[in-house]
Amino acid sequence: MVLEATMICIDNSEYTRNGDYSPNRFQAQADAVNLICGAKTQSNPENTVGVLTMAGKGVRVLVTPTSDLGKILACMHGLDVGGEMNLAAGIQVAQLALKHRQNKKQQQRIIVFAGSPVNYDKKVLEAIGKKLKKNSVALDVVNFGEEDDGKPEKLEALVASVNNSDSSHIVHVPPSAGALSDVLISTPIFTGDGEGGSGFAAAAAAAAASGVSGFDFGVDPNLEPELALALRVSMEEERARQEAAAKRAAEEASRQGGEQSSNSQDATMTENVSVGALVDENKRNDQTDNETALLEQALAMSMDDPRSSQSGGISMLDADMSDATMEDQDLALALQMSVQDTAADPTSQTEMSEVLGDRSFMSDIISSLPGVDANDPSVRDLLASLRQGEKKNDDKPSDEEK
Amino acid sequence: MNQVDLLDFIDWTGVECLNFKPNKTIANALKQGYREDDGLSLESDADEQLLIYIPFTQVVKLHSINIKGPEEEGPRTVKLYANKEHMGFSNVNDYPPSDTAIFSSENLKGKPVTLKYVKFQSVRSLTIFIEDNQGSVDNTLVQKIAFYGSTVETTDMKGLKKIEDGH
Repeated sequence: MVLEATMICIDNSEYTRNGDYSPNRFQAQADAVNLICGAKTQSNPENTVGVLTMAGKGVRVLVTPTSDLGKILACMHGLDVGGEMNLAAGIQVAQLALKHRQNKKQQQRIIVFAGSPVNYDKKVLEAIGKKLKKNSVALDVVNFGEEDDGKPEKLEALVASVNNSDSSHIVHVPPSAGALSDVLISTPIFTGDGEGGSGFAAAAAAAAASGVSGFDFGVDPNLEPELALALRVSMEEERARQEAAAKRAAEEASRQGGEQSSNSQDATMTENVSVGALVDENKRNDQTDNETALLEQALAMSMDDPRSSQSGGISMLDADMSDATMEDQDLALALQMSVQDTAADPTSQTEMSEVLGDRSFMSDIISSLPGVDANDPSVRDLLASLRQGEKKNDDKPSDEEK
Repeated sequence: MNQVDLLDFIDWTGVECLNFKPNKTIANALKQGYREDDGLSLESDADEQLLIYIPFTQVVKLHSINIKGPEEEGPRTVKLYANKEHMGFSNVNDYPPSDTAIFSSENLKGKPVTLKYVKFQSVRSLTIFIEDNQGSVDNTLVQKIAFYGSTVETTDMKGLKKIEDGH
C-alpha cells in the first residue's frame, strides 16, 4: 500500500494516429491509462492521480491529482490529437502539479507515455532527471511507437538519472507485443514496487493470464475480481465432477462388457481402451464431445455379443495403440500378441470377418471414433482389403464342401 | 528570557524534507533520541543540498539553532525562511532568506548559532535550506537539528477548562 500522488503524461501528438498498436496508438494508450488509474486509486484510498497531455497547443493539465476515478476517466474523452510532444515541458509541469499536492505524505510519481520521437538532447533529459530525483519524484516511462533517433537510449538515460533505490521503471513495448495495457499489467509500473501489487492488479493480471476472451460469464473480471474468482472456482469444480462421472460411466460400461464376453482378453482390451480414452480426456479441453465419444465406444463394445465387442476392440486398438504404447510398452506388447493370437484362430477370424463384412456397422463405428475420419482414403483402403479377405474366406468353405 | 527547546512544538505530520537518501531521513536528525545518536544522520542524495520544511503547532519565537555534523560533510551555508510554504529547490532564490548562517566547525560540534531574533518573532513554519557543506563534497550529513526559542504568549487552549456552573 504505497501512498502516492501520480501524474500521467499522455502523448497526444500526430504520431499517435499510427495504427501499429490496435486500434491505434492513442486508443491503446488511453486504455493503458484507464487501467493504471484504476490500479493506483484502488491500491490505496488516499492515492491521487492526475492527467496531462504533452502535445497539442502546449502542455495541458486535464485533471489535477484527484482520487475521483470518474473525473480521471472522463477527461480522457474527446481529446484532440495533434502537434508534437514536448517531453521536458510535460515532465516539469507534472512535477509542479505534484509539488502542490494537498497531502504532503503522498510520494510523488510521474508516468510518461512516449510514443513519438524525443527531440531533446540526452544531457537535457539527464538534467531534468536529476532535478526530479532531488525533489524525490519517481518516474515511470512507457516507451512505445517510434524508435528513431536513439529514443530508447535517451529514455533509459532519463530514468537512470531519476532512479533511486529501484523506484523508477522503464518499459519498452514493441507493436508486436499485443495490447499496450496487457503488457503493462505484468510490469512494476502497474503492480507497484515489490509487494506483488494490489488485489486489483493481481486479479487483473490473473484474468489476463488465463485469457480475458475465455471469460464469457458476462462479467468483467477487472471490475469484479471476487465474483470472477468464484465463477472460475465453481467452473473448475463442475469440470472435475463431470470428469469423475465420465470415468465412472466408462468403468461401468467396461465391466458390463467384461461380464458379457466369455473371452477374458476382451476385458483387458476394454480396460485398455478406457485408459487410453482417459488419457485422451486429460489432453482435451472439449469435455462433452469426449464424453459422448467415450460412451459410444463403451456402448459399441458392450452392446451385442462377444464378437462385436471383439471387433470394436480391435478397431479401437488401432486408434488407441499410440496412447497405450506411451503409457505402458509391456501392456501394448501383450495386447498386440493376444490380438495376433485371436487373428490366428480361424473360428474367431470368420466371426470377425462377418462383423467386418457388415459395412454399415463398420462405418458407423468408424465415424463414432474420435480422431478417425471415415472418409480418409487409408481407412477406405483398409475396409476394402478386409472385404476382400472376407470373400476369400467365403470361397474356402465352399471348396471344402466340394 | 530563557529559551527552551522547541522540539515539543514541531508538527510532525507536516515535516518535509527534499533530496534525502532513503533510510537517512529527517527523523534521524530531528527526533528526540535519534538526534542524540551521531550514527544516525540525515544525508543528501543527488547533490549536497537539502531542503527541510518544519511547521510548528503554535506560533513561536526563534532565538537560535543548533546543527551538528561531521567536519567534512557538515553543512556550511544554511538559509532560513520563516513562514514560507511550498518551497522547492527551484524557487529558493525567489525569496530573500530571513537569515543566512555560515556554520563554523565549532558550531557543528554543538555551539548554537544565534539568529536575527527580530526576523523570527512569529514563526508558524520554518524552511531550512542547506546550500553547501564544509568540504564541498557531494553528500551533506546532518546528525542533529535543534531549535531554541520561546512560544508566543497565546491562549493555551489546552489550559481551558469548563468551569462548573453551580448556580
